[in-house]
Amino acid sequence: MATDRLLDIFSLMAERGVDDAGTHSLCSVAAEITQLDGAAISLTSDGDEMTALCMSNDLARTLMDLEITLREGPAFEASTGGMVVQDVDLAAASAPRWMMYAPQAAAAGARAAFGFPVRIGAANFGALSLYRENPGHLSDAQTSDAYLMASVIARAVLSIQSGSPIGELAKELHGQSGLDFRVHQAAGMVAVQGSMSVKAALVLIRTHAFAEAMELSELAEKIITRATRFDSLLDSWIVKPTSGDPK
Amino acid sequence: MARETLLIITLVELADNLVDDYDVIDVLTVLSDRCVETVDVDAAGVMLAWPGGELQYVASSSDSMRIIELFQIQVDEGPCVDCFNDGQPIVNHILNVDDGRWPRFTPRAIELGFTSVNCVPMRLRGRTIGALNFFSSHEGQLAVEDVAVARGFADVATIAILQHQSSLNANTLNEQLSNALNSRIIIEQAKGMVRQAADSDMDEAFARMRGHARNHNEGLTDVAIAIVTGTLDPGTLDVLKPKRA
Repeated sequence: MATDRLLDIFSLMAERGVDDAGTHSLCSVAAEITQLDGAAISLTSDGDEMTALCMSNDLARTLMDLEITLREGPAFEASTGGMVVQDVDLAAASAPRWMMYAPQAAAAGARAAFGFPVRIGAANFGALSLYRENPGHLSDAQTSDAYLMASVIARAVLSIQSGSPIGELAKELHGQSGLDFRVHQAAGMVAVQGSMSVKAALVLIRTHAFAEAMELSELAEKIITRATRFDSLLDSWIVKPTSGDPK
Repeated sequence: MARETLLIITLVELADNLVDDYDVIDVLTVLSDRCVETVDVDAAGVMLAWPGGELQYVASSSDSMRIIELFQIQVDEGPCVDCFNDGQPIVNHILNVDDGRWPRFTPRAIELGFTSVNCVPMRLRGRTIGALNFFSSHEGQLAVEDVAVARGFADVATIAILQHQSSLNANTLNEQLSNALNSRIIIEQAKGMVRQAADSDMDEAFARMRGHARNHNEGLTDVAIAIVTGTLDPGTLDVLKPKRA
C-alpha cells in the first residue's frame, strides 16, 4: 500500500532525477522530506566495512568522511547496532555520545545528528544519517518520515546492488507490497542453497527476477515451491522441469 | 470448557507472558490462536503499521497460510486497511462480491471459505498503530460479548508491543513498531532457511523455531536472528553450533 507520504517521496525522487550512480536523489530527497540540513547514506558490507553511498551537501560530506575516519558516529552505530541513535546536542559540555566524533562534527557546523538503520529483516544494508545545524529532537513527523525514507532506501539499495533500474522501485511499491513475505522466505531458502547471507540472497533473487523479466513475487513462489533453486556448485539457477520434490 | 473459564485462563496466560521477558511476535501469535478459541471466529491475525503508514502482517492464528495470503491482498485493500485508516471497528461485515467493496479481497476471501469479517483497531493515545482481524467461515454473527472480547484482545496486543523489553531501549512508539515489524521479517527469512535445511514446509519450520525457543527459554526472534547470522544451524534446531569465526 503506497501511502500519501510515500507518493510524496517518489514524486520528489522523480523531480530530482538521478546521477550516474543512480543515487544522488536519495540523499537530497531524504534531507528535503525530513526538512533537515543534510543527509548521507552509508553502506555496510557483510564484513561490517562502511562506505559512503551519497551525501546531500558539503556538510553531509564532511560528516560522513569524519565518521568513516573515526569509525564512530550515527551511521556507524545505527548500522552496527540496528537501532535508531541520536545526539541532539553535539556541542553539549557533558559527555557526548560519540567522544571523538561529536566535537569535530560540531566544529564542522552540525549541532544534532541522527542515525537510522537501513535494513530488511536480518539484512543490514547500512544507515541513513541526518544532520541539523541547530540542536534538538526530531518532531514526530520528522521521525516518521525518516523511518519511511530508510525503508525506501533499503529497497533502493537492493535494486541498485541487483542491477535493476531504480525507476522500477516506484512501480514495484505501487503494484505490490515491498514487504511480501514470500520474498523473505525465498531469500532464506536461497541463503542455505548457496551458503550465502540472507542479504546476498535477496540481491541474487532480485537480479535473477530482473534478468528473467519475472515478478519478484513470482520467482519467490517458484523458489518456495522448489520449482526453482540456486545451485552453489554450478553457480546458477536450476529450474525443475516437472513438479515434485527435487530432494 | 465454559467460555468464561477459557477467557480467564487466556487472560492469565497472556498476563504471565507479559510479566517476563517475552518475544513480541510469539505473544501476538499466541494471542491470535486464543482469539480463535474464545471469540466465535475461525481465523485471526494482527497487522501493524510502519512509521509512515504501510501495513504489515505480524502474527496470525495457526491457520497461517490462508491468513497470510489474505493479508497480502489486504495490503492493497480490505477490512483491515479501512479499519486502520478510519480507526473504527468493522463489525459483522458479510462478504459479498456484489456490494463492490474490496473487489480484490472479497472474492479471494470467499474462495478461501470465509463468509464474514470483523476488525478492531489497535489504538494508543489517539493514534491507530494497527488492527486485529477476525475471519469467520460459518454462518452467524458475533455477539456483543464477542465484540467486547475482541476489543480487549486488541488492547492486550497494543500493550504487548509497548511493554516489550526492546521497547525499553526504544525512544519512541515508532521505534517500538519498527522493531516488532522487522522481527517478523527476520522470522520469515529464518523460516525459509529452516525449510531448506530441514526439508520442512513453512508451518513446520515456524513450529520448529517456536519449539526451539521454548525448549531453550529463548525468544522466537532471538532464535531467528541466531539462524540468519549463522550461529544456529537451521537443519538441526535444538543443536547449537559454536559461533562462526
